[in-house]
Parts: sequence; structure tokens; C-alpha cells
Amino acid sequence: MVPEYYEFLCPVRIISGMKALSNITFEMELLGAKKALIVTDEGVSKAGLIKNVQKAFGGSKCEIGAIFDKTPPDSSTDVVNEVAKLFKDKKCDSFIAVGGGSCIDTAKCANMITVEKTNDLMKFQGVERLSKPLKPFIVVPTTAGTGSEVTSAAVIYDVKNKTKLAFTSGLLFPNVAILDPKMTVTMPAKITAATGMDALTHAVEAYYCIQKNPISDAYAIAAIRLIFDSLLDSTLKPKDEKKRLAMLNASLLAGIAFSNSLVGVVHGIAHASGGVARVPHGIANAILLPYGMENNFDKAGDIIAELAPFMGASTKGSKLNQAKAAVAAVRQLANELKDASGLPTKLSEAGVTKDQLEDIAKTAINDGSCTMNPEEVTFEVALDILKQAF
Amino acid sequence: MEKIKIVHKPSLGYRIKKAIVGVALIAFGTTFEKVSKKDKVLIEELKDWKEGLVFSLGVLPAGPAITMRKERGAIKYLGRGYKENPELKLLFKNMDSAFLAFTGQMGNHTAFAQHRILVHGSLVDGVMANRGMGIVQAFLLPGIVLKMIFKRPPKLTFKQLLIKANVYLMVGVWIALKMWK
Repeated sequence: MVPEYYEFLCPVRIISGMKALSNITFEMELLGAKKALIVTDEGVSKAGLIKNVQKAFGGSKCEIGAIFDKTPPDSSTDVVNEVAKLFKDKKCDSFIAVGGGSCIDTAKCANMITVEKTNDLMKFQGVERLSKPLKPFIVVPTTAGTGSEVTSAAVIYDVKNKTKLAFTSGLLFPNVAILDPKMTVTMPAKITAATGMDALTHAVEAYYCIQKNPISDAYAIAAIRLIFDSLLDSTLKPKDEKKRLAMLNASLLAGIAFSNSLVGVVHGIAHASGGVARVPHGIANAILLPYGMENNFDKAGDIIAELAPFMGASTKGSKLNQAKAAVAAVRQLANELKDASGLPTKLSEAGVTKDQLEDIAKTAINDGSCTMNPEEVTFEVALDILKQAF
Repeated sequence: MEKIKIVHKPSLGYRIKKAIVGVALIAFGTTFEKVSKKDKVLIEELKDWKEGLVFSLGVLPAGPAITMRKERGAIKYLGRGYKENPELKLLFKNMDSAFLAFTGQMGNHTAFAQHRILVHGSLVDGVMANRGMGIVQAFLLPGIVLKMIFKRPPKLTFKQLLIKANVYLMVGVWIALKMWK
């Protein structure tokens, strides 16, 4: 059914395939860029992945102006200001983010303050507050999870005020996303599993949350099919580039879906678990997804049931039974990933203690994701989900 | 070929909607202040709000707006317009969107889902303000409307129903006085 009103945007040029990275300088030239600042992290650098990017510049008129490889897992305003300063000092004219969500968000925010000529990110907090297009911006993801290469949002930790700053704007989209499987083959099994489940959560929540629309639904279903087909294999056989490429695409498709349809209670509680108990985002999503789906049976059970065939679950019986079958399929995948990589399936296994649950619930209800959940998310509802997932 | 007339003057429909939204905003602001001093649920909700937070509710591009401030645990309605450089603004993108929300045809969560409201400021503050607004709406809108637009319509206690009756009386008297003038 078509909603009475919706909005959809994805202006990112997507280049996917074996040796896709060799297109990077061509894309830079199309954007009128000549000198790039690469934003990455130590993990990516140590894995030798930046060398792949550097090789792609060979024989081109474009150059790498500087490489910033100190992006932490939770980026901050200090890091963003440092990147922006480096961009200015080295007279770069474009950004290339090579890494996961943190690198991509850092590059987005550094780009934002560069064009807005300010270092006060607080001014742009919220929705649609930017007014100037960003500098040319290319993303090369090295995980198959966050989908940040195709989202309009960025989140940064504000060191001064000790709070997270969130920005959403149609102007925050990168120009180009390059999906090259060579950039993800070094991902360890547990991270492959966790980031893959993050992508699955994006796709599933995008499909049943209240902002859903026919376009995001199509992307969500395509992502779910790919994930159920490829995630376990890419965890068990990390060098299989075809499966790695499939997961990169799944993550991108899920990113497009949730960027336009947002997410729900699973992400709300996962964000809070990360903030209060330092549970990595992908792991939190993997643990909470089946419980979040069950929480929404009353309001969105029929919609969740529609996902059953794409998960290889039974389509027999009532809508409720099909929805339960879909949840069972998610649990089965999580258990298989646990056997393959040690991915936790309970919050207690991820280091959460019982006394943290109330704080997590209190934080979760203030997360914007919970507003988009079909079921009302109160403190009691969030706590109940956490107790079940503990 | 018929010449297309370029009209910049707002239509009658727009002006009627603007007037209704303007009145609704004032009613909302004064109700927020009143209920924040009387209702236990809202008082509890406001405990987590930053003391001194100034927030506005308005309509883009140049529609009506109101501003409120959290003061001594309750809300103070500061009046029409954007006052005291608000830290948080919840802005409807256009008059049609505001009209749908303020006439009880659409819930806040649906308005957010349909990109009809923007948050300028902290998203966490925005979510908390949205929750507070939901509590206040329960005192302004009839039960039958709440059932249609809320995910889970609140069940008001007897004391809350008395507060609601008081709110209706206050708003009714105010509107009557305005029309009399």
C-alpha cells in the first residue's frame, strides 16, 4: 500500500564491482577535484587497505594531498576540527573517506565545517540546517554494515558539552560510493558478522517502521535477500570476493532503505546500549533485532510476515505465524553466526550488566528512532525488551 | 492561449489555515504552561529537561510561532514569535502540515515520519519535547481524536479529566473574549 505522503532521496553515484576502486580518479575529475584528503583509521591503514587506494591514483593527474588515519571508533568534534584544519593546510579540494561509519561521519562533518567556514558544529544540529553544497566527497567503505556511504546523517561526539551531535541533511550525501570487495576481505569474522547483522537490522526496521514507502521497501527486500544468501558465507570464507561484494551491496541497499524510512526500537535501544554499556553497534543490533520485531507484532505483524519468504522462512499459516517464522529465521542466522564467529546473542554475553538495563531504557526512549517505531516505546516497553534480551 | 496569472498574495484558504494554526498554537502554549504545573505525568517528564531550555514551535517559512521556556520545573509560555534565541525549534515545513497536526488530523509521530516537521537543535531535546507535546495534546484533543492519531492513546485518570475540563474552559473563554473584541 502506498502511504498518503512520503519523501525519498538518494543522489549518490554508486560504483560496485571487482576493481571498482580503479575508477576513483575518474570520479574525482568528473567532480572537478584534483587533490584529495583521505580520512581513515589505524585499523584500515594497518590492514594495508590504503595502499589499494594509493595504487588507484597511479598514472592520474589527481593526487592525494594528505592522509588522516587517526579517526577513533567514536569520532569527536576535536577530531573533526583536526581533519578540517589538515584539509585547509594541505590545500585539498576533496574528501575521500576510507573506512567504516566513524571515518565516513568524520569526513562528512569536516566537509560541513569547511564549507560553512566555522568550527562550531552545534549551529547545524538537527534536520536540514545546511545551506551550502559540500566539497567533492567520495566514500570507499571497508565494512558491510553501516551504509553511511548512502545516508544523509552524521553523528559526532561533542567533547566540550559531553553530548552526541546529530546532523541530517540532503546535502550530507557523498557524491560517489565505491564498493570494491578487496577493501573488505581483511575484515575479521566477528566484525563481518556484527556489521552484517547491522545491515539486516537496517533493512528489517526500514521495512516495518512508520516512515516506510514503496521505494525504501524495494531496497530493504533486496538487502534482506542478499544478507540471508551471503552473510554466513562471507563470515566463514572471508576471501570469497563475490560474497564480500554481495554484502557490500546489501549494506548499501539497507543504507538507502533506512536513510529514507528510518529505523525503530531496535536501533533506539542499540544506540543507548552503546552509549551506556559500550556495546558495539552491530552486536547490539544482532542481539536486539528478534526482540524488537516481536515487540511490533501487534502493530506491524502483518508487515513483518511479508519478510518471511525473503528470509527462507515458512509462509504457511496465519500472518502472525509467518511473522514468528521470520523472527525464527533471524534467530537462526544469529546462532549460526555465533558458531562461526563468536557473535554474542545475549546482552549479558556482550558485557552488559543487569544494573545497566534501566539506564539503557531511560536513554533509549529519547532516541529519535523510537519515534518511528510502530509500537509506542515507553520506559517500561524498552526495559521489557532489554530484560528479554539479557 | 490563456494567460497564467502570477499571484503572490496568499489565498483565502491559506489565510484561514494560518488563523486557525495561530489560535491553536496559542492555546497549545498556554495549555502546556497550565498542565506543566498540575499534571503529575508531565511534571515527571519535565524533570529530565534542561532547566532554562527555550524552545519554539513554529511554521515555515514565515508562519506563526510560539516560544516556551522550562523554568523551575515547569513550562512558562513566553508568547508569540521566536523569543530569546531558542535553543530548540520544532518547525512545520509549511502551513498545510501545521494545519493537519493542529486540527488533530495527524499525530506528531506521523508528521515526523512524513518529514513535515524539522528539528533545529539537539535531536534528543527534540524527542523529549515531542513526548511532552504528546502529553499536552491529550489534554487538548477529544478522546475520539486521540484514538485516531496516537499509537497508544493515553487513559486519563479522573484528576487528569478534571484538568482537561479546566483547559477546555480556559481555552473556550479566551477564544470567546478574542472574538468579542
